[in-house]
Amino acid sequence: MAMRELVTGGAACAVPGSSSVANPLSNLANALIGSSSKTQERLKEIPTSTTAGSHGQFNSDHDDFSTTLPGSESDYQQNQHADGQGLAFLDSYHATNRAGLADAWDEIQHQRNTYRNEEGQTHLTESGLIYNQGPTAQTQLSFNGTPQKILSSFLHSFVNSSCGDFPFRPTALPVLGLTKGEKRCIRDRSSIMARHFFSDKSDEFINAQVDALLCSLDIDNNIQAMGSLPWRFSDLENYWTESQGAFATSPPAERWVTEYEQQREHVDPGGWAHLFNQQHGPSGWASEFGDEQSQITSVTQIQGAHISNLAAMEQSRLLASTLAQNNDPKFQNSKFLQFVSKMSRGELFIEDNQVQSSSVSVAEDWATEYKKHYIAGLSETDQHAHKELSYGPDKWVHEFATGSKQHELVDDQWADEFSKLHVQDWVEEFGNQVGKGALGEDSTDSWAAAYDEYLSEQVATKRRLDSSKGIYVFSDMNPYVGHPDPLKEGQELFRKGLLSEAVLALEAEVIKNPENAEGWRLLGIAHAENDDDQQAITSMMKAQDVDPTNLEVLLALGVSHTNELEQAAALKYLYQWLRHHPKYGALAPKELPDSLYYADVARIFNEAAQMSPEDADVHIVLGVLYNLSREYDKAVTSFKTAIKLKPRDYSLWNKLGATQANSVQSADAILAYQQALDLKPNYVRAWANMGISYANQGLYEDSIRYYVRALSMNPKADNAWQYLRISLSCASRNDMLEACDSRNLDVLQKAFPL
Amino acid sequence: MPVFKTPFSGYSVKFSPFYEHRLAVATSQNFGILGNGRLHVIDLSPTPSPSPISEFAFFDTADGLYDLSWSESHDSLLLAAGADGSLKLYDLSLPPQSNPVRSLHEHSREVHSSDWSPTRRDSFLSSSWDDSVKLWTTDRPASVRTFKEHAYCVYSVAWNPRHADVFASASGDCTARVWDVREPGSTMIIPAHEHEILSCDWNKYDDCCLVTAAVDKTIRVWDVRNFRNPVAVLSGHNYAVRRVRCSPHARNLIMSCSYDMTVCMWNYMSEDALIERYDHHSEFAVGVDFSVLVEGLLASTGWDEMVYVWQQGMDPRAP
Repeated sequence: MAMRELVTGGAACAVPGSSSVANPLSNLANALIGSSSKTQERLKEIPTSTTAGSHGQFNSDHDDFSTTLPGSESDYQQNQHADGQGLAFLDSYHATNRAGLADAWDEIQHQRNTYRNEEGQTHLTESGLIYNQGPTAQTQLSFNGTPQKILSSFLHSFVNSSCGDFPFRPTALPVLGLTKGEKRCIRDRSSIMARHFFSDKSDEFINAQVDALLCSLDIDNNIQAMGSLPWRFSDLENYWTESQGAFATSPPAERWVTEYEQQREHVDPGGWAHLFNQQHGPSGWASEFGDEQSQITSVTQIQGAHISNLAAMEQSRLLASTLAQNNDPKFQNSKFLQFVSKMSRGELFIEDNQVQSSSVSVAEDWATEYKKHYIAGLSETDQHAHKELSYGPDKWVHEFATGSKQHELVDDQWADEFSKLHVQDWVEEFGNQVGKGALGEDSTDSWAAAYDEYLSEQVATKRRLDSSKGIYVFSDMNPYVGHPDPLKEGQELFRKGLLSEAVLALEAEVIKNPENAEGWRLLGIAHAENDDDQQAITSMMKAQDVDPTNLEVLLALGVSHTNELEQAAALKYLYQWLRHHPKYGALAPKELPDSLYYADVARIFNEAAQMSPEDADVHIVLGVLYNLSREYDKAVTSFKTAIKLKPRDYSLWNKLGATQANSVQSADAILAYQQALDLKPNYVRAWANMGISYANQGLYEDSIRYYVRALSMNPKADNAWQYLRISLSCASRNDMLEACDSRNLDVLQKAFPL
Repeated sequence: MPVFKTPFSGYSVKFSPFYEHRLAVATSQNFGILGNGRLHVIDLSPTPSPSPISEFAFFDTADGLYDLSWSESHDSLLLAAGADGSLKLYDLSLPPQSNPVRSLHEHSREVHSSDWSPTRRDSFLSSSWDDSVKLWTTDRPASVRTFKEHAYCVYSVAWNPRHADVFASASGDCTARVWDVREPGSTMIIPAHEHEILSCDWNKYDDCCLVTAAVDKTIRVWDVRNFRNPVAVLSGHNYAVRRVRCSPHARNLIMSCSYDMTVCMWNYMSEDALIERYDHHSEFAVGVDFSVLVEGLLASTGWDEMVYVWQQGMDPRAP
């Protein structure tokens, strides 16, 4: 089945040394993405040779070549070598002592015994010579031009296999020293061309042919990059329709279909792909965030099993975005694409070979809706249908995850994820230290153990946090409990910039008056500025419970959710902000749509901005929205506009800085953070952000000072501790790791004064 | 009949619109799958001589060349479409070291075809595996416009012979599209075949007549005013039809070449459309052209590294 091949990558011949291939989806994405960037690894342009005299094309005159082409002596020698190769070629072939090779050669000869005459050999020698002018010269030189010939005849037999019905067999070839770029070239081009010259054959046949070619050339043939798409997806769709056949007849399913149709109509049917493209922004943002801002936030952000899911999400997002660029309505309606898009948004993930709906997905979520009807449908259909149906999703998943056990999957993806996060430098660094003997064998082991421990601890913390999401965790010892007016005290402390103290006072206030929205709101802001978004969100949600239309609360929730990369939630609050705004409420449709599309929300806010360009809040929201869609340039512009209107708003400067950091303008970001700190010296978040920006520029020593400063103001900022640990490792200050792990601020402050 | 052997696989051959004896050939090493490219400019001798064909110039490129176009404004200018995504402009009147005079690199994937406008003589088009078509002029270093609507590789692009702003494109997404460069999007989408469309060309005598060739082995003739049904379906090739050209001398004459290694001549208005079949190539035939200046003079090239120039009705391989 074509689909099976698509998702398993036709694993008939696994290629050693290929990138980790545990997740077939990631393979697909690899193949797709890899192919589009291939031109970068292409050969350099050859300086144009002179116009040779007439008949120059046949000459075997070395002088001609060594003068016309910028050849070195080695080239020249090679040319001589190659010249005498007419017979030596076959000998050398046999000399490699591989029966397979000889067979291959015989087969090639047999097919086209007229092919290689004396003249042909000369040509190829020349072509080999020219070819070697490229940067690959070094690798190919040692083969004396032979690889070029082997490749040539090999490709020839591939191309010619279209003339007969015989399958093209993979053959063992000597190492040809092809570069990655060349391999990609062969993969992409042969798979596209194969579709042209094997016009009669089935997809399976074509794929087998190409697979055989790529396998022989030791090319990663997970999926044939570009060549396979259009047909494959129609197959997929058929498959899907087939597997859903029974389901489609049950009444609830119809309801679902209509519902889905309605929803589609609601969202500009033609622009589905477009919408989707923008909609999946946030998970993209997540990766951007991961790259730019943190080396280890991932550890907290990613909970245990979700490590693999994030990687899968990222891969499927890439896949989906590639697919979504396709304007073909078939693609836009493709169930597979929708499936992939859901994965990319984290609404589905693969766990223990089961597709699961994400636990955080909201009630009106399409996935939940779908599942509900799905189950309802099950109960009503007969036993046979039941069976088929209930296996439906499993089948999908099995095909997605064939051949790889779950733990392998996790491992590999963890590795992927890890390398994606710029930790490579760090790993290298570590390797260096080990090499230098700075750490003995024991310490490596203990390091690994400690790291594992640390990791599981983080996961546990995160889980605990998650499970308690929505439940505010109060500090144990609170001196402000019993204070006559903790709110006033809290406001005062907040204004003085004593955020941690202010948090305690405000906690005392909300313990005393749980119905005080202002208390909760201030508490939320204090937490946010103290670089603790989880607590900030919880507080803000409490504030919202009490006062559902408080604009500041809604805005703050939107921003906090953006920081936590929760797009759907962020959009919800930003939209509510608009709805409850006395001025812009009219712009928003009265009833809240089941699911918000980024594009719709952005459009409404743009209208609002045009309506009153003097309202800084609208520009702030726009800036946040553009961060969600990763349009950082626009976001920077929006924040700058807002700053013009509110130059004393330190949090705006911080937002500007964070946006600039996201768009790889770390130097500008530092200036913005500096502004924020000038306005509010105790702004922990800005201190920590400053550190991140320095770390991103490779200035680890500097970053450490800023982290330590931030931590001295709020020792509870867990993120900052993790950043600090990374920077200490990167700066080779392993002597300080213990102080960091034991959270000994005194030692750290002495070692890294600002 | 003149025969020319190229070191690499032939990909495209075109007669110069200025000199009746001159042709250019775009070639790629290893069938264009991997390796270098070379652009040959060859001259036919006016009188039978020991060498009926001679090489005037050649240019090497780091990646294969898939197509070429002669300038319609300068006799020495020609354009090569590269597998590395670049378009290169060569001036034969300049010394080799100053060539290519321009290298235009915007396509992110292989450029599969190019066409120089016969009416607006400073403009040319390129189509690429990156699913886009780009419009260029000789005086600009960057493309003027990008047309990105096709959902898969765009294999071919052709200017309308009469309307300076109109061109057609053929793509692997199974559609041919007609565009007006003054419009933001395509003006017409023709679902011309059920398979990938590899080539298209306009009838030089009928500005509404478009010809497409596809992997389904057929050539279809379309009236763009009514493209519900093709005017003609030409069957006879045994494999995908790689390139199709309309005669500059006869309204009803079409030439094609195919992965079945043959070159065919068709009269699409007649009942028995297939007029001639030339079986001279020993590998896939991928390039064909009519001479504009000499009626009946034809050229073809293929992956057998051969370029044939012959008079219609004669055997290309005849000595």
